[in-house]
Amino acid sequence: MPFAEGWRRLRRGTWRVAVAEESMTPALQPGDWLFLDPAPRRWPRRGSVVVVRQPGTGQLAIKRVAAGPGDVVLAGTEYVKLGDEAWLLGDGGGHSVDSRHYGPVPLDALVGRAWFRYWPPRRIGLIPRRRASSARARASIASKGKLRK
Amino acid sequence: MSLVTRWLKPTTTVYAHCDVPCGIYDPHQAELAARTVARMVELLGQLPKENPTEADRQKFVRCVAVKEQHAEIVKHEIQVIWSDYFKPEHLERYPDIHDRTWKILKLASKNKQNIDAQAASDLEAAVKEFSDIFWSTKK
Repeated sequence: MPFAEGWRRLRRGTWRVAVAEESMTPALQPGDWLFLDPAPRRWPRRGSVVVVRQPGTGQLAIKRVAAGPGDVVLAGTEYVKLGDEAWLLGDGGGHSVDSRHYGPVPLDALVGRAWFRYWPPRRIGLIPRRRASSARARASIASKGKLRK
Repeated sequence: MSLVTRWLKPTTTVYAHCDVPCGIYDPHQAELAARTVARMVELLGQLPKENPTEADRQKFVRCVAVKEQHAEIVKHEIQVIWSDYFKPEHLERYPDIHDRTWKILKLASKNKQNIDAQAASDLEAAVKEFSDIFWSTKK
């Protein structure tokens, strides 16, 4: 039953997290406490902030969705069409460890979508879904014409 | 910490990873790429000079492409360590870091332009020395 399954995931899932390190500044600061939507079944829209199990290390990482399933991205020197994967980038300049290091992230690595900051009190509120204001994100999404199979 | 904040505090930490504070630097990638360049030059040397078959021609193109790609990787990796990792105190110990980096970048470009076994082995050696300096600053 989908409802029971969803409830189980909600109860067991991670729904409160603390942010460490700085690759998401200024949107998220180290020490921010966030609520997660712990039961996403698919990748949230571009610009959403998600928590994933980082490929390779398995550590929980928080990044922004730059491109989702069906998008074409420039991975290193090649254009790749994403399947059930997302291309994640940090907000903070060139120093973020993200899809540029570990490539597209599969759906089963997705832990949750960060949607609300409940601490510190000064900055309580919804976490804005940046409209790939990241020019970088837009730059990495290529036009389909460039796709080489 | 008050009871309320203790109750509110998340139990899970998520990392907005960035390579500067975590200090994840490793010249291994550069060494591997330099080795690849040398190996490609070696493979290119083994190809027949006269009457190449279709397969030889395809291998030639492939080796050249890989060689140039990996020379570019050397440049990138060395540049990142040079600009992001090395600090003034390292420079005091190794005043020739800038010069070495510059020469490695030049050598890598030379390897991109030419098929030159000498340049390839020079590059490998230079990257190895760079790597040794890197690791000695970690001690």
